[in-house]
Amino acid sequence: MSGGYRQQPGGAGKITRKDGKRVAGKQAFPPPGSGGSNPTMAPRDLDFIPEMVGGKEAQPAGAHVHDRARTGTSVGKPTALVDSNAKVTGQAWYGDDVRLANEVIGKILRSPHHYARIKSIDTSKVEALPGVLAVATGADSPHQFGVLPVTKDEHAMAVEKVRHVGDLVASVAAVDEATAMAALNLFEVEYEVLEPVFDPKKGLEDADEPIHWRGKYHLARTNVQKRVFQEFGDRSLVEKPLASSHGKWKMAGVHHGFTEPHAVVAHWDPNGRLQLYTPQQVPHYTHRALATVLDVPMHQINVIRTFVGGGFGGKSDPFPHEMCAAILARKSGRPVRITFDREEVYWINRGRHPSHIEVKMTADEEARISGFDIDALIDGGGFASFGHVTSYYNGVLATAPYELGSFHYTGARVWTNKPASGAMRGHGAVNTRCAVEVGLDEMSEQMQVDPIDLRLANLLPPHSRTISGFRITSNGMREALEKVREGSEWDNKFRQMPLGKGLGIGCGFFISGSGLPIHWDPNRFPHATVHIQVDMDGGVTVHTGAADIGQGSTTAVAQVVSEVLALPLEMIHVRSHESDTSPVDLGSYSSRVTFMNANAAIRAALEIREQILAAAWEILGYHPNNLVLNDRRIYYKHDPAIGVSYLKALHKAQEDKGALIASGAYRSPPMGGVHKGAAAGLAPAYSFSAYVAEVDVDVETGIIKCTKVWAAHDCGKALNPLAVKGQIIGSCHMGLGQVLSEKMVYGRTGHLQNPNLLEYKIPSVHEMPHVVPIIIESCDPEGPFGAKEAGEGPLLPILPAVVNAVYDAIGIRLRDLPLTPDVVFKGIEKAMKAAGADDPLDLKSPRVTHGDLQPVLVKRAAEHKTRDQARQRSEDTSQYVNGVLFGFDPNIPLEDQVEGWRTATEPDPEQLAELGLAGKAWLKKEQRHMGGDE
Amino acid sequence: MVGTEHVEMIPVAKKEIWSAKVNGRPVEVLAPSNAILLDVLRDKVGTLGVKRGCDLGTCGCCTVMIDGTPRISCLCLAGQVEGTSIVTVEGLADGAHLAPIQSCFAEHGGSQCGFCTPGFLVTAQALLNENSAPTDQEVAQAIEGNLCRCTGYQQIVESIQAAAAIHRGEAEPAAPASNPHPDPHPSGPEEPQMPPGHAR
Ligand code: FES
Ligand code: FES
Repeated sequence: MSGGYRQQPGGAGKITRKDGKRVAGKQAFPPPGSGGSNPTMAPRDLDFIPEMVGGKEAQPAGAHVHDRARTGTSVGKPTALVDSNAKVTGQAWYGDDVRLANEVIGKILRSPHHYARIKSIDTSKVEALPGVLAVATGADSPHQFGVLPVTKDEHAMAVEKVRHVGDLVASVAAVDEATAMAALNLFEVEYEVLEPVFDPKKGLEDADEPIHWRGKYHLARTNVQKRVFQEFGDRSLVEKPLASSHGKWKMAGVHHGFTEPHAVVAHWDPNGRLQLYTPQQVPHYTHRALATVLDVPMHQINVIRTFVGGGFGGKSDPFPHEMCAAILARKSGRPVRITFDREEVYWINRGRHPSHIEVKMTADEEARISGFDIDALIDGGGFASFGHVTSYYNGVLATAPYELGSFHYTGARVWTNKPASGAMRGHGAVNTRCAVEVGLDEMSEQMQVDPIDLRLANLLPPHSRTISGFRITSNGMREALEKVREGSEWDNKFRQMPLGKGLGIGCGFFISGSGLPIHWDPNRFPHATVHIQVDMDGGVTVHTGAADIGQGSTTAVAQVVSEVLALPLEMIHVRSHESDTSPVDLGSYSSRVTFMNANAAIRAALEIREQILAAAWEILGYHPNNLVLNDRRIYYKHDPAIGVSYLKALHKAQEDKGALIASGAYRSPPMGGVHKGAAAGLAPAYSFSAYVAEVDVDVETGIIKCTKVWAAHDCGKALNPLAVKGQIIGSCHMGLGQVLSEKMVYGRTGHLQNPNLLEYKIPSVHEMPHVVPIIIESCDPEGPFGAKEAGEGPLLPILPAVVNAVYDAIGIRLRDLPLTPDVVFKGIEKAMKAAGADDPLDLKSPRVTHGDLQPVLVKRAAEHKTRDQARQRSEDTSQYVNGVLFGFDPNIPLEDQVEGWRTATEPDPEQLAELGLAGKAWLKKEQRHMGGDE
Repeated sequence: MVGTEHVEMIPVAKKEIWSAKVNGRPVEVLAPSNAILLDVLRDKVGTLGVKRGCDLGTCGCCTVMIDGTPRISCLCLAGQVEGTSIVTVEGLADGAHLAPIQSCFAEHGGSQCGFCTPGFLVTAQALLNENSAPTDQEVAQAIEGNLCRCTGYQQIVESIQAAAAIHRGEAEPAAPASNPHPDPHPSGPEEPQMPPGHAR
C-alpha cells in the first residue's frame, strides 16, 4: 500500500498545475487505513501531544483528563473549516438557495401601526386574485410560542393586536413574487390604533393597555416583562470608600447585521411530514415550536438546517415566518419559500437591547472593590424572546473576574412598541461590562494607580466561587492582562501620549455554555448528544445536531473525533443538518456548542476507539495500554514495527456485528446556589479576556479611529487556533461597531429610521484596526481537551477598551454609545467650556503620577500570581470563595462570619426608596398580590 | 413591505430573450426586459452562488465580474450587460481545479459563515487579475464595497495576500493545514518516530 489513491481517476500526479492552481480533486488523500503495516505513515507529531503522555506540548495548567485520548492528529492545529470548500465554490446552500420543484413564493403583510387592535381582516379580494394559492392570518395559528417556555408570547401572525411596526399580520403564497406582492395590496385590515409606548422608562408606569397581559403574574398594569433584584455581600463595606465611580449610561440598540437575510422553505412531503429548511442556530427549539403551533407531533417534522449566513444570536428564536411558511405550505399543498428583504430583517430584530445602565462602584482604602451597584433598564421591544435571561445577565455576568465586597443589582426589561430585542453575541453581558470596566478606570485614576495593576490585584483565582456562587474553574485572566500589557507597551504609553492619542484597557468574562438548558427536563436529558458510526470502508460518520453558523463547530467536532481515533480529518464526515438523523442538540447559543458537543463527541469516539483497540489486542497480542494510535495505524509502543492497520483492526472489530456505533452525551454537572435566579449565568466553565485598544481622536471633528487592538482571550485550549483567531478578530469588529457607529435609530415618532445596511453603519474594512489576537490556554478541566468558548466572550472587552482609550486621548468620559462624532464633539465642546479653551487643540489629555497605593497593588498582584499558579496547577486545592480578599474564612459560610451578609433576591421595604431606575419596577405589585382581577 | 398602501407595482415588462456568457457558457433565458441581473442569475441561470444580502448595493454579496470588472449585480439591469461575459463564484475554479484565491480563503480563515465569500472572491480575483502584488491598502480599497460580519476582514486580507503570492509564483498552493499527508506520499521506508523514552 504505497502512495495514495485519488478521488478522481487520472493516476498519480501533482496536486498543483504548472500555473500554480491547485487541482481540487487531487488533494493528497491516502486510502483509508493505509499506513497499515507499512511503517511509512506520517510520523507522530509530538508537538501536538501533551507532555503528560510523552509529547512536547507544554501544559501550563497540568494534565487534563482527555490527555490520554490525544494522538497529535488534529487538536491544536490551525485547520481550515471542513465545509470551506463548499463555501468558496459557491455550493454552500443557505436558506434562499433551497429551490424545490413546484415551489411558490410566500410574502408577509406587516403592520403599519406601532400598536393597534385588529378589528377585522378581509381576505376575499386576495383569495380572488389569480395566482394566489393560500392565504393565512392569525386565525390559522392560535397557539402561542416563544423561545423560552416561561414567556411564550408570540403568534405566527398577530392575533388580536399588532405590537410594532412590521409585526406580522397575514401572509400569502402565490405562484411568483410579483403576484404575491400584488396580493399584499388587496388585504383589507381594519385597525383600532392604540397608544404606543417607546420609552422604556414609560414602560415602568401603568398603562391603559399593556402590550401583553400575563394574568395574575402581571406587574400592576405596567409593561414590565421581567424584574430582577439581587444582592450579595456586606453592604457596610461601601460606606466609606476611598474611591468611587458613578456612571449613567445610555446604550443604543444594535443589530447582528448578519449578511444572510432570514429565509425559510416549508414543504409537506407526500407522507404528510413537514420538511422545513431554515438557517437556524437552534433548530431544536424551532422544532418544538412548530409542533406546538401546527399541532403535529415532533416526529412528523424534519427541521433541516441550511448553511447559516451568520447568526450571532439573531437566528436563535423560533420565528413567526417559519410558522407562516409551514401554514401556507399546508394550505397550498406546495413548497413555500419566504425570503426576507433587508428591511424585514430589522423588523424581526432580536438585536441587543437599548439600555439605560447605571453603575455605582466603590473601592476601599486597600483598593479592594467593595461594591458594585448596577441598575439596568432594558428595552425589550414587542416580545419577550430571550429577555428573561437577558434581564439576569445584565447583572450577574458582572460578578467576575473581580473579587467583590458586595454586589447589588436591579434590572427590568420592559415591553415597548418596537421590534423585539433578544440575544446577541455577548448576550446581556456587553453593556454592563462596558460600564463596569470604565468605572474601574475612573477609580484607578482617583486612587492614582495603574488600571491594569488595580485589576491584577483584585482578580478571583482559578477554582473559586464568585459572590453569586458561580463556579470558576480555569482562569486565564491574569495571563491575558499581562500579555496585552506587554504587547501594547502599556507602561510606556498609557497616560503619556499626546492629545488625541490614547490607550485603554478592558476585560471580559463570559459563560461557556449555560448550565441549565432552556427546556429544562426533569428527566436529566443531556445537553448534547453525538452519534458516531464507522462502517467497513473506514470512514467515520458523526451525527450531531450542532448548528454550525460559521464559527466552525462542525470542524471542531470533526477534529476531536479525528484526534481520538488518529484518523486524518478527511475521513471524518459530520452530518449535522437534519433533525431526522441527528440526535437532539440544544443549539448554538450561549457559546455552548464546541464545549458541549465536542465533549459528547469525545465520549462517543472513545467508545469506538476502545473497540478498535480491543480488536488490535486480539491481532497483536498486546494489551491496549501498550498500544499507540497514530495515523491509521495501531502499534506496540516499544516497537512501532509491530502493528496493524486501522482498517484491519476495524474489520476485526466489526466481525459478527457490522458497523461500529457509539453514542456519547454531555450534561453539565449540578452547580451553583439556591437563590432565585441562581441558574442564570451558571456555566460549566467561563472564558476570560483582556484587550488593549489604541485610538486616534480628531479633537476638531470628534471622529474616533481605532488603530490597533491587542486582544487576549482565554479559550482554555484552542482546538483550532485559526478559528479562535477568526472569532477574536470578528468579535472586535462587531464590538467596535457597537461602540463607534452602529445604532438602531428610532425617531421621535418611534419609527425605525435606518433599517438598511447603508444607514445602519457596520464597520467596513477601512474602519477595522489591526488586531493582534493572543490566545491564552488555561486548560479547563471540564472542557473538551481543555477548551472553552471563544465566540462571544471576545466581544466584551473591546467596548470599554475603546471608551477608556478615548478618555486617555482627550480626557473626556463619554457614556452615550455609540461614540459617533456628534456625541464626541458635544463632549469636547463641554470640556472646552469647562477649561475655558477656545481651540479644541488646547485641551489637555490626562496624565497620572502613581500614588502610595500603587506599590501596595503591585505587591498584592505578585502574591496573587503565585497563589493563582498554584491553584491552576492544582497544587493548592483549598476552597476559595469570593470574600477571602476581605479577610473571610472560605470554609465557614459567609453569613455566619459577617453580620449583615446578605443573599437577597427581593428588596427590603426600606430599600425601595433608594432603588435606581429599573429598581422602580419593585414599587409595583403583581396582580395576584393586588387582590385584583385575573 | 410595511403597511397596506403599497406603491403601484412596477408593471411587469414584456419578456424577452436575454443572452450572455456566464462562466464561459453561453446562456439564453427568457426574462422581463426590466429584470435585475441578480434575479436573472439566481432565478433563471441558476448560479445560486451569487448571494442576495440587501438588494440595495450595500453589502457586496452579489458581486459578479462583468467583462473582468467586479460589479454589484443587484443594482444592474440585466439588459445593461446583455452579451457580456459574466463570471460568478462558480466560474472561478477551473473545472475541478480550485483557484488559488479559493483555497487561500479556506486555509487562511477568509470565510466563516461563507455568505459574503462569493462576493469577496470575485472582487479579489478581479484585483489579482490586474495586480498580483497589491499592498494591503490596495486590497482594502478593492474590498471596501464588500461587507463581512464574521471575519473582521483581517483574515480576508491575509487570504488575498496569500493568493497574490501564489499568482506571483512566490508560493506554492499549500495543502489544507488539516491534511497531515504530504503528496507524493512517502514511499521509501522511513524510521518511524518513537515516543520519547522508548528506544527501539
Ligand atoms: S445584494 Fe447587492 S449589494 Fe447587497
Ligand atoms: S464570513 Fe460571514 S459574513 Fe463574511
